[in-house]
Amino acid sequence: MFKWHKLGKVFTPQDVKGRTWLKEFAQAPATLLFDDFVRVYFSCRPLADENGQYISHSAYVDLDRVNLFKVRQVSKQPILSLGGLGEFDEFGTYPVSVIRHGVEVRAYYAGWTRCESVPFNVAIGMATSVDAGKTFIKHGNGPILSYSPDEPFVLSGPKIRRFNNIWYLWYIAGRKWKLVAGRAEPVYKIRMASSSDGIHWHKQNKDLIESRLEDDEAQASPDVFYAHGKYHMFFCYRYSCDYRGKDNGYRIGYASSVNLIDWLRDDSKAGIDVSEQGWDAEMISYPHVFELDGQIYLAYLGNQVGRHGFGLAVLDGKLG
Amino acid sequence: MKWKKLGKIFDPTQHSLPNDCVQFAQSPQALVFEDFIRIYFSTRAIDKSNGKFLSHIAFVDMKKNLRDIIGVSEKTVIPLGGLGCFDEHGIFPMNVMRHDNVVYGYTCGWNRRVSVSVDTAIGLAISHDDGLTFQRIGDGPVLAASAYEPFLVGDGFVKVIGGIFHMWYIFGKGWKSFAIDAVPDRVYKIGHATSSDGINWLKEADGQIITDRLGEDESQALPTVIDIDNRYYMFFCYRQSYDFRQNKQRGYRIGHAWSNDLVNWTRDDQNPLLDVTPGAWDSDMLCYPHVFESDGKVYLLYNGNEFGRYGFGLAELEID
Repeated sequence: MFKWHKLGKVFTPQDVKGRTWLKEFAQAPATLLFDDFVRVYFSCRPLADENGQYISHSAYVDLDRVNLFKVRQVSKQPILSLGGLGEFDEFGTYPVSVIRHGVEVRAYYAGWTRCESVPFNVAIGMATSVDAGKTFIKHGNGPILSYSPDEPFVLSGPKIRRFNNIWYLWYIAGRKWKLVAGRAEPVYKIRMASSSDGIHWHKQNKDLIESRLEDDEAQASPDVFYAHGKYHMFFCYRYSCDYRGKDNGYRIGYASSVNLIDWLRDDSKAGIDVSEQGWDAEMISYPHVFELDGQIYLAYLGNQVGRHGFGLAVLDGKLG
Repeated sequence: MKWKKLGKIFDPTQHSLPNDCVQFAQSPQALVFEDFIRIYFSTRAIDKSNGKFLSHIAFVDMKKNLRDIIGVSEKTVIPLGGLGCFDEHGIFPMNVMRHDNVVYGYTCGWNRRVSVSVDTAIGLAISHDDGLTFQRIGDGPVLAASAYEPFLVGDGFVKVIGGIFHMWYIFGKGWKSFAIDAVPDRVYKIGHATSSDGINWLKEADGQIITDRLGEDESQALPTVIDIDNRYYMFFCYRQSYDFRQNKQRGYRIGHAWSNDLVNWTRDDQNPLLDVTPGAWDSDMLCYPHVFESDGKVYLLYNGNEFGRYGFGLAELEID
């Protein structure tokens, strides 16, 4: 079992000044390491419009590598522009996952559009940075991973990894829209695709993680790393109904695999739960594990899915 | 080669159609039997929740003289897609093709958006009862948006040639408002994809395969292909992308291109030319062609004025 020691909230979007596009939320943290700082990408929102609807942008905060609780700077602009009229990412880019590729940095991101019968749809795009991850140019105006017979809608939450020279994309795919008190709520499951170039993808077409809470359990943020001869995945999961509060809200789960395809879920090993009180007392979600200077860290969201920022935990002892 | 017009052959308002459809018989597509021809078309019901249209597939069985009607479909051929699915708000058109003792139906599914009116994608449904009813292979599409074809993938027409599935289809190039305060209109072009199984498709890299006649704002739709004496002939419809509904100078006409290798297409709308007939049911518009062979004759089904609100007609190819 893992044992995480919580370090507290590290970034609060409400503290950032002078950016109308960054007023609240710092969701789905994803790291890129530099010599003396850690760039943490996240997704944020301006205030809701007159209809109460949000758009999402993605940005980064640079944390001092020696003291992760010291914010060095926050990006002056979103790292990605929103899509044009009718495009898949017209109303949001959230979340984003980054990886170095030679001198470039690639971002895989979920683009949001708005629909009539359901509130939104999502597909996955790719963009490239040649300025160390400050700004990204999109690979086309459409998605690189889109809908297919078994993945009819809501392809979101990309996490890009490369193992043994093969690109892997973990993501979530919508299974159904469930009507709950007249509101369409998405149910999604963790999926995976592989690629030789990071652009053309072969879907595995398999639910990787068995549902535990209920058939309609929603799963997100499949964050995979390799250590000690196997692959580890931290993810988050929730009930399909009434999940915006503590009882049915997100928790962090864990699974492991030796071949990246067959996963054994064992949430009892995740080693992190909601706190008695404070910023992460109602829910914990969107885990991201990274190694830094001999320590293993877990970045994650607390209450209201990161409305007030993200925090860090550090692993006690060694990886299991 | 010359088209000989045979007149309008089906008027949907003269029949009782399933799903409370009353008008429109659009994009007729033939499935030839030994002693009759089943012609699928898209017809429309009113969505009671908002007064908008829903397109449904129905068919009419005709004797091989293509004058005498045997009957129309009495029940639902294929239900619309579920909540949030790509084909929730309509199927228009559906291309049918026999393969391995079943009938493949390639659907163009419609779903409504907020910033633009609609998006589309291409699905696959299979019939095991000679085309009376079709069952989807999944809730999602087999061909959807991609990096350089960002939306409005539709109008698939599939033919198996030399063991390879070929699909001609259309994809959106852009949504734009052509005049101040005008709602956004779309521009789309004809593309080509191939497959070994009819399910997993590889799009041709270069996108548009048919040159523009009306400039870059020409919209091209509904490709249909037939081979005659070792040459491939494609028919399609094309129009201006703005002010095309009422202005008959800017509305749909039938286009044509030919190819010897399925790679290079030569556009030649004049030979054979199918033109409007003043005073007739197709005086203002010609659209949604479907070419097929029956008993050694080559026919073209197509719609006339008002996009087929009052039915479809037929022409026969006279080969020199």
